[in-house]
Amino acid sequence: MRKTLLTLLVGSLAIFASAQTTLKGKLIDESTSQPIAGATVTLANQNVTTTTNAVGEFTLFYLDAMDEEVVIEAEGYNGTIELIQLNADQVNEMDPVKMSVDIAKESKDEVLINISDEDLNDDEGKSQAQASAASASTDVFNATTSFAWSTARYRNRGYDQTEETYYIMGLPFNTGERGTFSFSSMGGLNDASRYKETVLPMEATSFTFGGIGQSTNYLMDASRFAQGWKVSAAGTNRNYKAAVRASYASGPLKNGWSFIGQLAFRFSPYTTQKGIIGEGINYYSLGYFFSADKTWDNGNHLTLVTFGAPTMRGQSGAVTQEVYDLTGTNNYNPYWGYQDGHIRNSRIVKAFDPTVIAAFDLNINEFNKMKFAAGGHYSFYSNSAINFYNAPDPRPDYYRNLPSFLWDGQIVNGNSEQLYGADGKHYPYGNFIGSDMNGVNLGQGFTGLDGKVVGPSVDAKSYNNLVEKWQSRDDKATQIDWDALYAANYANNKNGNDMARYFVERRHNDIYEAMASINWTNTKFDHLKMTLAVEGKHSTGVHYKSMDDLLGANQWIDIDPFADRDIKDLATNISMSQEEMEKVKLNNLANPKAVVLGGDKFGYDYRVNVETAKIWYQNEWNFNEIDFYYALQLTYSGIQRSTNMLNGRAWYLATLNEDAADLYLGSKSDAIMAVKNNDYSGLGYSLGKRHDFVDPAFKLGFTYKINGRNRIKFNALAETKAPLARNAYISQRVHDRAIDVIYTHDAAKNLKDFYAASEKIVSGDLTYEFNFPIVRGRITAFYSRFWDGSELNGYYDDETRTFVNQAISGINKRHCGIEAAAAFKLGTYFTLTPALSVGDYRYTSNSYAVTSAENGMELGKNPVTNAPIYEVRDSVLMKGVRVASGPQVNASLKLSFFHPKMWFADVTISYYDHSFLNVAPSRRMKGLYTGERADGTIVNGGYNQIYLNNGYSVDGRAKDENGELIVDANGKYELQYPYNMLDQQEKLTATEIWNRFMIDFSVGKLIYLKNRQSISINLSVSNIGHNLHFKTGGYQQARLPRATRQQIPDGENSTITANAWKFPAKYYYAWGPNLYCTITYKF
Amino acid sequence: MKRNNIIYIALSTIVALAITACTPNAPSEESCYINESQLNELVKADNGTVYDLNDFVDKFMTEPGDFDNYRTRSYYSNKVDGKDTTIFLFSIDTIPSAGPGIYIRGRVITDDYGGNFYKSLVIQQMKDGQQQTLRISVDMGSASGLYQKGQEILIRCNGLAIGRYANQPQLCVPSYNNNVYAHSANAKIGWAPGRIPSPRFKEATKLIGQPDKSKVVYEEMTMNELNTKYTSKFKMDTWADIKAIRQFDGHLVRITKVNFTGSFDDQGTLTNCEFYVPATPSEPAKGDPEVDGSNAYVFAPSTGNVGYPQSRYVRGGSPAKLLLVSASEYAKYAHFYLPPKKYVGYIQGVLGYYLDQPPTTKYPLSDKKWSVTPSNLAEDILPDCQNATDASNRWVPQEWVNGEPQDQTIYP
Repeated sequence: MRKTLLTLLVGSLAIFASAQTTLKGKLIDESTSQPIAGATVTLANQNVTTTTNAVGEFTLFYLDAMDEEVVIEAEGYNGTIELIQLNADQVNEMDPVKMSVDIAKESKDEVLINISDEDLNDDEGKSQAQASAASASTDVFNATTSFAWSTARYRNRGYDQTEETYYIMGLPFNTGERGTFSFSSMGGLNDASRYKETVLPMEATSFTFGGIGQSTNYLMDASRFAQGWKVSAAGTNRNYKAAVRASYASGPLKNGWSFIGQLAFRFSPYTTQKGIIGEGINYYSLGYFFSADKTWDNGNHLTLVTFGAPTMRGQSGAVTQEVYDLTGTNNYNPYWGYQDGHIRNSRIVKAFDPTVIAAFDLNINEFNKMKFAAGGHYSFYSNSAINFYNAPDPRPDYYRNLPSFLWDGQIVNGNSEQLYGADGKHYPYGNFIGSDMNGVNLGQGFTGLDGKVVGPSVDAKSYNNLVEKWQSRDDKATQIDWDALYAANYANNKNGNDMARYFVERRHNDIYEAMASINWTNTKFDHLKMTLAVEGKHSTGVHYKSMDDLLGANQWIDIDPFADRDIKDLATNISMSQEEMEKVKLNNLANPKAVVLGGDKFGYDYRVNVETAKIWYQNEWNFNEIDFYYALQLTYSGIQRSTNMLNGRAWYLATLNEDAADLYLGSKSDAIMAVKNNDYSGLGYSLGKRHDFVDPAFKLGFTYKINGRNRIKFNALAETKAPLARNAYISQRVHDRAIDVIYTHDAAKNLKDFYAASEKIVSGDLTYEFNFPIVRGRITAFYSRFWDGSELNGYYDDETRTFVNQAISGINKRHCGIEAAAAFKLGTYFTLTPALSVGDYRYTSNSYAVTSAENGMELGKNPVTNAPIYEVRDSVLMKGVRVASGPQVNASLKLSFFHPKMWFADVTISYYDHSFLNVAPSRRMKGLYTGERADGTIVNGGYNQIYLNNGYSVDGRAKDENGELIVDANGKYELQYPYNMLDQQEKLTATEIWNRFMIDFSVGKLIYLKNRQSISINLSVSNIGHNLHFKTGGYQQARLPRATRQQIPDGENSTITANAWKFPAKYYYAWGPNLYCTITYKF
Repeated sequence: MKRNNIIYIALSTIVALAITACTPNAPSEESCYINESQLNELVKADNGTVYDLNDFVDKFMTEPGDFDNYRTRSYYSNKVDGKDTTIFLFSIDTIPSAGPGIYIRGRVITDDYGGNFYKSLVIQQMKDGQQQTLRISVDMGSASGLYQKGQEILIRCNGLAIGRYANQPQLCVPSYNNNVYAHSANAKIGWAPGRIPSPRFKEATKLIGQPDKSKVVYEEMTMNELNTKYTSKFKMDTWADIKAIRQFDGHLVRITKVNFTGSFDDQGTLTNCEFYVPATPSEPAKGDPEVDGSNAYVFAPSTGNVGYPQSRYVRGGSPAKLLLVSASEYAKYAHFYLPPKKYVGYIQGVLGYYLDQPPTTKYPLSDKKWSVTPSNLAEDILPDCQNATDASNRWVPQEWVNGEPQDQTIYP
């Protein structure tokens, strides 16, 4: 009976299929003729996708008869596109498609994930531009550039990573709080990240509405993986030194289930060698990945996935050029030092992001399919750092510990690189002034090539002593002296002091998220595919500090050191007694004398909840000559902060603004009086105001197929995006006060203002694609505008001697450019692929900053009433500044070699230009140059002189033809334009043209053994040209010295003091030659 | 190779490597400092000598110093021992880098937690019951975090310098002041003692044992005794006097039975003195906190971040003598009212004088040139500050709050 039914079913299916336009095909390995399972086969014109089964076969039903492009992507193979003609109402059979192995891709993907993982977790918060870790393998441009250009931190179209959309099994995985995807969650798990569908910016896809950046959906179904074991070992000279992996895939079992499991371990012990990549870094990561799926006969498909990679690793930090020069290496790392004779890194990241996902594909009928997915992850992420109190700054590269600090006003300009002393020796760090302002010859001066004499303020012996310490990498002076920190605490204990002088704290930023999605597609109507999807996500960011190591001290008392130090200043501005003021420095009002011991939570303990709900709908029409789509999306977001520790500064600020106490204290606004009355009961938890946003988005696209080999595409998108939760508060650690635009938005009564707080984005691109037997590729022009973006910065302000937060809003940007690539087949063995991207990414207007002290200090006086002001407002002169997002000009030429006996090699030479330093808004506040902020408060110690590149400065205020200063409508001084203040935005591009090139190389061999076993060996080497002059990123330090306005009174030929360069920029350099070697055994 | 073997090897490797990931052991307390025998070995191995502080200064500090481009207002001509000569108020002598080790040792007697010492330490050495002291200028904020009060330290001085800043001897490095923006810049530029760079100082210094505050010695005296021993003793007309006065700089003293004068009308005029809440120029100068409220004197009103120290008089002895008490505007107690006149007690701190230009009147040094610098309010002023007529009535620090003086029960 069962046989009969099966025969009937198969027979009816065959009849049914034969009556429809159908495509059948098979994929095989070019060398072994083995079938390729799990490959993705897409008909580009009809937007229909399927995957190959265990024997490499695929079948697509209900197709439109037309010329088609069959886009085939298989992990480990070079992607290919086949052109076919689909005839109506018949089964169209393709010849077996032979695919060539791409062994290098696996290791390249691993390197890419590694780069993205580390960049994202850079705790400076100013990291170099992040690489894009996902790429579409069949797109020539992306396939070529994503790896080759990652060394230079190229970013697609210059976008921030928040513009890229990441999904796993149809679930959104950009975090609610930061908007980015955590690659560390699957670091080292190359099987977990092996299969993915990647869509170019704004193009139509059924798993997401997407955005202006590319979208990626990782597919982790076990049935995609070929049956068997795979073990591999890798060696590298990057931050980790070796990796071992083992995986087993069951392949589809008779009962319809498939399983795969992988373990991956990456590691690097501490090494004592200085100057190597990964100096002072240890690295341990153990990843796991398990997936099971079951496919029913009716096509329904269930997938269960879990993965995670507990990781512990040391970090390295950017330093100033002076330090790189002194130490003679780009790999100097200030974060480590010796403790009891052993290396210890102060910045240890601990990350673990266990993830669980369940997905179910429901085949309702031949026209309707639904995908259900639900999942969650809990991302544990923390980083350690040394904190100190009433003790010297322990950082070896603290500016006062560097020779440049000894210049102390003597130096003539900031770039005295070419200095030769009377002894003929090169003194790159300056030497001695020749004579003082009275003309007294000091007899010790050294003259630069420019004829100027410069030098430090101390004698040669003292100066050279410090220089030599750095040049010889003295352990105590140039690394953290852990033993001295212990000694300070031991002595402190002995003296009966109750607070540690030094300790290591751990800053936690956990995120847990739960999400679900339902996706429905309908293809009932000819030429039309409809997609309707809803997504929901709850995201909670958990922020707190814990005591990692008291370094021998007995305890810590939970106060804010800055507030403690500035109690006197705080007290002078408000009618509080000293007793009341003592409460201001408390981090937890409910626990005034909180003793902190090892492992205890302290400092702050707050959460930020982000709820997101999306609904989107898309129509795609596909015809022989034209494709067209449009999609609409509506997104609701809610942001709400809560805290378990009511902070003393929040209470202080609420006391200053009693009418708006809830802005600072949330639901505990009545705490003002309670604390004054010493009633601390019930202060444990406070819920802040909820901020709601509704954001619409619309996109459309049009493709004109000139013929089977040429097409033109156009895509456009317009959307608004709610501010990221990380940027939504002016001082998230301390209180609940939202940034100004959200505050205004909350008060909005009409639709016009309703999404005033959201960023507005419009983007479009135009592409010409070609696909000939010997060449294929594309050229794309794109243009994007951003309005009303926001970001948050924090830095130590010298003028007020305290840490300030700076909420920037009204950030307007423009990104435009072209990108192009073509792959030329040169005979049987070689392929030549040139690629080019030329962009122009810059800020189009000035933005607006609200600056406030984290400890609640006043930052200015009301010009009329002389009342203290705690939030100062000013314009940030950003117009014309370039966005720091990697090189804006990139070009490369890649020559690939493939021999049928399974040898392959490629070499890529790349050129990068127009890379810019990330500017610090604090150095571009208008008030610095006019002496007065936009809110009328007076700026002390600013730069009213504009520094010119020739070493001179002029009064930066604009003057009319009569030489009178020009004022705007508000009576404020106008500035000259363009804003050349301090220095023009620094270009990171190397001075010498040959130092703008990087060469990468890879070679590999695949050896087939008996019984379908194989061994593959791959070696890829980046920067084989040993280019050590390549800056991949950098940022201006936001910290500004006081009294930089001082100048030598010499008319227009004035110089401003060296104070302006006291806190120079910090840079990231590309690593020198770094290799990645992998051996994989499959059996 | 069998599958099981591969898995076994992989897991063993993982476990072995994970074990090595631990944080290093904490250094033992003993390893963080040296004891006497280690000190002796260290000095012996260096063929070195540990000098008494006074001997050290005598041996290495010369007149005018070995840097001839001294500050232009750094010297003062007068007759000394009956001859025309020059007293150099600013000088530098470099200490040889090479050769045998040149060591000094002493106990730190200052702390900067109270904000009243900035980038300087004073060390004390007891010799035959007498204290010897030396100032050390070091470019290290919150230096007391590493060199706590009561901590004895050994310093290898080779390559450093000994100099005078405003006639105060100090261990230093040469520093050239070319601050063209300073007030009276022409008179100030030139070489002068500067701060030893932090890495250099840490390299030169070893901790001897753990700190012991109880071994810090305060030389207790009345104002009359102070006057006899220090402030009026020296005529500055013999080299013996000049040498002696420099040696007394930095001594740790406790002056008993004094009260803050708190006003102008006792003696002379207080320079650089501002009101806590600025008064109008026409407002008469007053000073008693209980009477004058917001116009009362505090220890150190703001200088607008210029940073010069403020001085306040205490008075004691018979006939009354005056001594300046120095406070930084960055001191944590800077905004507290001075104790009213009726409160009498001791004031303790580092004794010194500041002579950065030739005095307008002929020496001897006036008693007004001497000052004492407390480390903080809690230890150096408060403990003995009580009502002269009622010993049970102790002074409570007060500050101006909302128009009324407020007693403070928590701070300091």
